Amino acid sequence: MTVDPASFPLVERGRQYEDFADGDTYEHHSGRTITDGDATLFAALTLSYNPLYFNAERARGEGHPDLVVHPMLALCTVVGLSVEDLSEAGGPFLGIDDVTFHRPVYPGDTLSARSVVVDRRESGKRPGDGIVTWHTQGHNQRGELVVELRRTNLVRKREAA
Amino acid sequence: MTYFEDFAVGDRMRHFRGSTIHEVEGQLLAKLVMNSAQGHFNEDFMAKTPFGQRIVFGLITASTVIGLATQDTAEDAIAELGLERIRFRSPVVHGDTVYAATEVLETSPAPDRPDAGVVRFKHWGFKPDCTVVFEGERTVLLKRRNPLDQENA
Repeated sequence: MTVDPASFPLVERGRQYEDFADGDTYEHHSGRTITDGDATLFAALTLSYNPLYFNAERARGEGHPDLVVHPMLALCTVVGLSVEDLSEAGGPFLGIDDVTFHRPVYPGDTLSARSVVVDRRESGKRPGDGIVTWHTQGHNQRGELVVELRRTNLVRKREAA
Repeated sequence: MTYFEDFAVGDRMRHFRGSTIHEVEGQLLAKLVMNSAQGHFNEDFMAKTPFGQRIVFGLITASTVIGLATQDTAEDAIAELGLERIRFRSPVVHGDTVYAATEVLETSPAPDRPDAGVVRFKHWGFKPDCTVVFEGERTVLLKRRNPLDQENA
């Protein structure tokens, strides 16, 4: 038995270059509660051997209330949450700049992400692509800024698709 | 222990361990952090593109390179402060092995922290054929072995 996928209309995802205008703001979907399982798994798989990320007693001894969530996990999660709105249609990272870790994240904290379009231009090298830069911020459940960054991607143009 | 005083501008180090990026480091972590781009987890979709296979989420590569460098640069860091000039120079795919190397770019006092100092590192991530996959700068707050007198801070 087979199915004919073409008989089901595709639910498209992802934006293209023409969909972005300077100043456009996105409040990204979901939010993400970082569990202690997430925190330990991430730190272990990336071999990030600072005891603040693995040893709650050591972390408390340094004045934290609990394990510290690896700041790279906070960054990855905030960027991850932004992908659906900004870059899911494809186009590689060109770079990330101005990453600031403003305050620690602890297991149980819930991160949410928002982005603003800060620059868009044609690609000189790749006529089918544009280049878009976003300023993305991650906040915790108290609305405190946790991490921010500027991300630049190649983004496909619609006429080239 | 790694202290602020252990680092001088121009110091270079190549970190002992590498890490082969497989399913659990690549697609698992991409999904864990809510990266919804299927280029990181749909092999069929990527087989129909010029890449031919899934690409590892760049920030997982970055996190791995920084992780490989952590014990030698920031095992007892007070905090990670920030990153600059993160660039992904070539794609990483499942099965690639990544190594890390580091240079100290800058050391400076920490405002309001006589017990600590700030070090800015440059990190490179590279494959066994020496292809660079990642470059970036990272700023870390490190304890001082010998805290400054308040008046010198």
